[in-house]
Amino acid sequence: MGRYLTLLTLQLRTSALLAAQYRWDFLIDGCISLVWAATAIAPLLIVYAGRSSQAIPGWSMNEALVVTGWFILLQAILDGAINPGLAAVVDHIRKGTLDFVLLKPADAQFLVSTSRFQLWRIVSVGTGVAVFAVAFHRLGRWPSLLGVAQALLLLCVATMVLYSMWILIVSTAFYVVKVDNLTYMFSSIFDAARWPSSVFRGLLKLVFTFVIPLALMTTYPAEALLGRLEPVTLLYALLASAGFATASRTVWLLSLRRYSSAGG
Amino acid sequence: MISVRGLKKHYRVHKRAPGLRAAVKSLFKREYTTVPAVDGIDFEIKPGERVGFLGPNGAGKTTTLKVLSGLLYPSEGEVRVDGHLPQKREVAFLSKIMLVMGQKQQLLWDLPPADTFELNRAIYDVPRDEMKKRLGNLVELLAIGDVIQKPTRQLSLGERMKCELAAALVHGPKVLFLDEPTIGLDVSMQVVMREFIRTYNEQFGATLILTSHYMDDVAALCPRVIVIDKGRLSYDGGLAELVQRVRPEKRVAFRLSAAVPLAQLEALGKVVRHDAAEAVLQVPMDQVNTVVGKALASLPVKDLTVENPPLEEVMSELFSRSRADAAGKGRAA
Ligand SMILES: Nc1ncnc2c1ncn2[C@@H]1O[C@H](COP(=O)(O)OP(=O)(O)O)[C@@H](O)[C@H]1O
Ligand SMILES: [Mg+2]
Repeated sequence: MGRYLTLLTLQLRTSALLAAQYRWDFLIDGCISLVWAATAIAPLLIVYAGRSSQAIPGWSMNEALVVTGWFILLQAILDGAINPGLAAVVDHIRKGTLDFVLLKPADAQFLVSTSRFQLWRIVSVGTGVAVFAVAFHRLGRWPSLLGVAQALLLLCVATMVLYSMWILIVSTAFYVVKVDNLTYMFSSIFDAARWPSSVFRGLLKLVFTFVIPLALMTTYPAEALLGRLEPVTLLYALLASAGFATASRTVWLLSLRRYSSAGG
Repeated sequence: MISVRGLKKHYRVHKRAPGLRAAVKSLFKREYTTVPAVDGIDFEIKPGERVGFLGPNGAGKTTTLKVLSGLLYPSEGEVRVDGHLPQKREVAFLSKIMLVMGQKQQLLWDLPPADTFELNRAIYDVPRDEMKKRLGNLVELLAIGDVIQKPTRQLSLGERMKCELAAALVHGPKVLFLDEPTIGLDVSMQVVMREFIRTYNEQFGATLILTSHYMDDVAALCPRVIVIDKGRLSYDGGLAELVQRVRPEKRVAFRLSAAVPLAQLEALGKVVRHDAAEAVLQVPMDQVNTVVGKALASLPVKDLTVENPPLEEVMSELFSRSRADAAGKGRAA
């Protein structure tokens, strides 16, 4: 355990060194983050324009803004911490350099997952928090301590689910060499998480609750901050993340076994 | 140290004919073929030995090394390395071996090699003071003191390969598999690498298996060679004996003070090359003395040397012979 903590620190240090080498990325990522925030908020403004309240059932515009805040936050985690390391796996598989990872006496999933972070994406975390501040300022109240605690727990849960989904997608790279289409599809689906889950009806609602639990990623934490999360939802979220984590670990291990390394 | 018994590794590959029609068909019905990359080989290697794997492209050398280092499951047979079953990939096993691949690199591209060394130190849990000593030694032997702080992408191929070796040796492996470690390097750099590999073997008593395209690597480093061809072991023993077996002939080169007619040379042996000032004959081992005696008596010889035929030629003859054998069998069947 101690060794893995040391390793994580070292990997973070490596990414920090890289981030320092590419200092200008700070500005670029900062600008990208602002553009992202704008594109995340703009649809809300359009939807709520004219019909001032309840354009989305059960959500005022300011409440929906809290969901947008979570969307920005999770996007930052996805782009900054989850995506880069796992993109590296796909690259490793293509070039056959995954061999080097597998030769190391440490867990391969851990090594690849922590191999790269885009640290400048931290800027977006600030943007997300700023969106929360604006939303609650306009609502004229602040989240309760319990709400914040629940929200932080859900943040961990959501991160775990996102990470597990990525592992599942990356595992397919062991079978098909091009996973670009899959990752593109995933990004498009994740995009739906910008809306409170009540906009989806029927089949989509079922899919986004149980198959790809988008609700768990942005809607539930927003409800937690707004102080209206049902405790049973929290339980469901915990179970779902445990399920996803187990499934992704199993699939990863199975795929590794199949890996017979690119020729050379 | 290493024992391989009846090792087979068959790859199952998805067979697909070219063309769109076949591609669509293969979506529904997949056909597989088996590639017998390694097809039943046995050998034993003692601690501290340096062994060279020889064989034409696609013979199964890399596959064997990958099985030995635990990257691939053997399809059949048993492999043991220092008492471990490699495919279990136990920490104790992985900590004492390393596979270096000349065509692939583990160094982080955008960062200096020193950062990769440090990462490997943490992964292998090497104590800091031991690391300092070991790295100091590696840096000195490889003369890479002034490159390990530069980003890898700025290094020349030779510098990079030296750093690759250093990164692979940070944990002091007792067993080292080297798959074409000198590929693409210029001759002087090949010599440097060779010397280093030998020194590492001698200083630490590490066991070593090397494959190389350059016969000189194997000749300089490995007293013992194993020839693999189409997944089968076709020779295991000393290099000199192998050369004798394939080409039981020597080359006698004469420097001449006057031109000699071809017919006169042909009377002595097979003429490999000849011009006004020089002639090279190929002579069976047991006739070298007689031929030299006759030549000195009858030709205007200024100087003379007796050599083995070039290794590259011996190997290409060996491999083309095995291909001809296979073709012969194919026709007979
Ligand atoms: N991952 C793989 N999948 C299918 N076939 C492979 C794979 N790797 C190697 N082969 C095949 O196995 C045979 C042996 O390859 P290899 O061990 O790389 O030979 P060598 O290193 O001696 O050149 C070749 O015919 C090669 O095409
Ligand atoms: Mg090879």
